[in-house]
Amino acid sequence: MVITRRRLVQILSGLTMASMTGVGRAQFWFAPSLTYPALKVGNTRNLQNNQPVYFNYPDSRAQGLLVKLGRPALLGVGSGRDIVAFSASCTHMGCGVQYKGGRMVCPCHFSMYDPAKAAQVYQGLASTSLPQIQLRIQANGDIFANAVNGLIWGRAKNI
Amino acid sequence: MPYARRDQLPIPPKDAQAHNTVCQYCTVGCGYKVYTWPVGRLGGVKTDQNAFGVDLSQQVPLAGQTFSETMHSIITKKDGQQYHVVIVPAKDSPINLKGDHSSRGATNALATWSDTRATQERLKYPLLRIGDQFQVVTWEEALEVLGRVLKGIREKYTDDAIAVKCFDHGGSGSGFENNYGVGNLFFKGFSVKHISIHNRPAYNSEVWGSRERGVHELNYDASDARLADTLVLWGANPYENASVFYTEHMLPNFQGATVAEKQQNLPKGEPVEAAYLIVVDPRRTSSLTVAEQLAPGRTLHLRPNLGSDYILANAIARVIWERKYYDMGYLQNRTDLGKLEEYKAKSLKSDTTYADFMAQAVKITGVSQADIEKAADWIAKPKAGGAKRRTLTIYEKGMIWNMKNYDQIAAVVQMNVLSHNIGRPGTGVGRQGGHQEGYVRPPSPTPGSIFAGGPPVNVDKYITGGEGKLYWVIGTNPYLSTPNNQVYRKRVHERTTELSNFLGQSGEPASTRERVAKILEGLDQTGGLFLVVQDLYLTHTAQDAHLVLPASAWGEANQTSINCNSRLLRLYERFMDPPGEALQDWEICKRVGLKMAELYRQDGNTTEAAKFEFGKNWSKDEDVFLAGTAEFPNNKIPESEEATLPAECYTGVTYRFLQQQGQKGIRTPVRQDPASGKLVGTLRRYSTNFGTKDGKFSWYGTDDWEGYPAEVQKYLEGDMASQYPFWMTTGRSQLIWQTMYNDHLLPEKTSEVPMPYIELHPQDAQKLGIKGGDLVEVWNEEGNGIFMTHVTDAVKPGLIFALMYHHRGTSNSMTSGYTDPKTTIPWYKGTRVNVRKIAGALPDLQMNTSVLQQNKFD
Ligand code: SF4
Ligand code: FES
Repeated sequence: MVITRRRLVQILSGLTMASMTGVGRAQFWFAPSLTYPALKVGNTRNLQNNQPVYFNYPDSRAQGLLVKLGRPALLGVGSGRDIVAFSASCTHMGCGVQYKGGRMVCPCHFSMYDPAKAAQVYQGLASTSLPQIQLRIQANGDIFANAVNGLIWGRAKNI
Repeated sequence: MPYARRDQLPIPPKDAQAHNTVCQYCTVGCGYKVYTWPVGRLGGVKTDQNAFGVDLSQQVPLAGQTFSETMHSIITKKDGQQYHVVIVPAKDSPINLKGDHSSRGATNALATWSDTRATQERLKYPLLRIGDQFQVVTWEEALEVLGRVLKGIREKYTDDAIAVKCFDHGGSGSGFENNYGVGNLFFKGFSVKHISIHNRPAYNSEVWGSRERGVHELNYDASDARLADTLVLWGANPYENASVFYTEHMLPNFQGATVAEKQQNLPKGEPVEAAYLIVVDPRRTSSLTVAEQLAPGRTLHLRPNLGSDYILANAIARVIWERKYYDMGYLQNRTDLGKLEEYKAKSLKSDTTYADFMAQAVKITGVSQADIEKAADWIAKPKAGGAKRRTLTIYEKGMIWNMKNYDQIAAVVQMNVLSHNIGRPGTGVGRQGGHQEGYVRPPSPTPGSIFAGGPPVNVDKYITGGEGKLYWVIGTNPYLSTPNNQVYRKRVHERTTELSNFLGQSGEPASTRERVAKILEGLDQTGGLFLVVQDLYLTHTAQDAHLVLPASAWGEANQTSINCNSRLLRLYERFMDPPGEALQDWEICKRVGLKMAELYRQDGNTTEAAKFEFGKNWSKDEDVFLAGTAEFPNNKIPESEEATLPAECYTGVTYRFLQQQGQKGIRTPVRQDPASGKLVGTLRRYSTNFGTKDGKFSWYGTDDWEGYPAEVQKYLEGDMASQYPFWMTTGRSQLIWQTMYNDHLLPEKTSEVPMPYIELHPQDAQKLGIKGGDLVEVWNEEGNGIFMTHVTDAVKPGLIFALMYHHRGTSNSMTSGYTDPKTTIPWYKGTRVNVRKIAGALPDLQMNTSVLQQNKFD
């Protein structure tokens, strides 16, 4: 467990209160707070375990990384709950992370992220997980990116 | 479940209030900028629309301004208005170049107090245990009770019955101002000799073995890590614990990226290249394995048997001596030649043949002769053309909290000085540091090392032994942080409860005077202890307190501190209000002092009253900062005499000066130039003299290897050897700060490190049927703890590593009560334990927590 239920309720009620009174309104945004495009980023038939696919999302200046892990992952989609996608920009200082050895490693200062744990930082200088890209799979296996859960490095607003 | 994320952040408008500050956490002291502005307005992405002055629509990796999800929060000020607070890495700091920062400092904004976030747990008002519950009281009531209890105790039992455990550091909301406040209360008002420092049982330097040689532990500059030919990390893991020092000042040197800087700063023609790295550590630390990626063939890992480091340092020094990698002229001019003979005889064993000496050293340390010799070459062998090699040796808790603290530190310092690796660009031998520093206090009534009237009293043992009447814990949580922790916790709990129970089976006296009289009666008639805790939160220790005093934190006052890797003094500007009635520690001390003075004046005792009026003219933070300069010697001296100054001397510096300097700060010790009167900082120490009376380095002959102290040796004999088959060493995690006093409220942190953990070698894991993410119990005769498991080759078979502090437990429960007889510094990093798997598993924990190997970067 990340935080106690009591604590979570406190945080959430605090925030709801702020937005109800209009004080913190739209200034403590939780993702997804924006309207994201739906973009086809692959098809399940073409995905092989541990072979990452890179794509741009939510626009041409942001790189994402789609990977089928072959083991269940937090927020994974597909029959094995093992397909996940993340922003490929390190949340530390923006370098492009590489998928290798079953995890993401940043070549700049070596932050490492666990793709099965919503890209949790398990080592390094980055302060938050990589933004997770929400995926939806259609009946024909097409994988769509739907939203970005987390702030892409370098931006103050994802779109 | 992953924590809630954000996908847009409020942008500070151009006219947001801007403040300079320094990270509140680690020793590195990265510069930060703070922006606050009222909620309701926003800046824009264009360069001229925001306070960063950058175009947020096209930021370039590494070069841009990092503004991560953790760098914004909303706070409420005393005016009742809500404000955005944005705390981002500064881009104009000589420390965190390019705006680098770590996962710890990045959460400075989240750690600010707010009643609408988890940090609402901050203490707002004084709490008094009444009827066995904490009840909110006023400062007036709290001070009246405390003052009268203190007065009653000192009159009956003297100040010796007042025991204190208090921070002595900088950063983290302390710094020069608060150190001076507590120093005045306990050393000028009271004369407290049963005082101990936040992380250990006595009032002592952790490096007397260096200081008594004439070398203060903060003697190098961060730039020396960029200029060095060889870096030695001895029991120090900066990638994890001083992250930006590693990434900005060491890592580029491993990559050869500082060659141009070397050419520019070092004598013309001196050969320069990328650095070599020697790591001396029982673990394959990340500081080593990152460098292995960048500089294959240029790293050397020495893994001495626990406790044998000083023998290893002496062995390297013997090679340096044998191979004549020293400069006799330097040794003659700058060091005490008489004492050098003692060093050669005792530490280098000059009477023993090289072969015999080496055979012994190899046997004791477990390090091969080839590696010892290679280390000596990398540290001291002159470069092509005869130029002296430049080696910067950085040590930290692996050495400090080792067995035989004094000899360990002396040995490593002497190894470097023997090859003149101090006082030159690219050299030095000093601490990495854990937290920042900021010590200025009146002289303490406590002794020095065994060579200077000591060793000091072990105050933990004084308290657990049933002595003392009042125990005042300030800005530290010894229920996690002190050694032999389980014994300590149980005993303090017992003693504080005994007093509480005495105050009444049901009703307790209600008037202040009657309550105090009953407390004093209880202290007299029982073995009870009156516990005062002064802190930010109701810590584990505070749960047992009788009186809790709310302290204000970083950002809630103006404060000053220095970092450790450059002794860079800067102003940490106030940008918000403290919660409720929380006060700076100096102000609490001032008020307690004035209360004592008032009580003595009522008695007509004006002499005693005057002692406690030290703070009567302190009305703002800077008053205390300036008052502190009374403790420093004259600093109107030439550069050649810098070694006579205390490392932290800042006489002549004002807040205004620091404001003007901004992130540039000034390096202590500060001098006032005798000719111009200008303030001058000190880049690097001991280029001309050492800090001894005659200015010469004072050698010391270390002890022979004597095996392990009884507290640990017992586990190596008879049945115990098989009952406790593992060595345990301990340390920190990159992801969290200290006891997690702030971090335990941040889901970013609690999801990454939900509980304390151990590292277990794959072979041991297999033998015991343990997998990554399983829970284990670790125990020995001293104590027990439950840990999550990481399976990793960071440790060797037969050795586990345990996280030292975590909100949910501490490896200190198992550490012994041993302290170095020369210094009273504990050995936190070595004892014997057993490990067993706890039946079952916590699928939720396993689902949410990564157990990937933290030191594997390839
Ligand atoms: S390296 Fe240290 S000082 Fe720098 S941001 Fe991290 S915790 Fe703060
Ligand atoms: S940019 Fe990725 S670790 Fe620094």
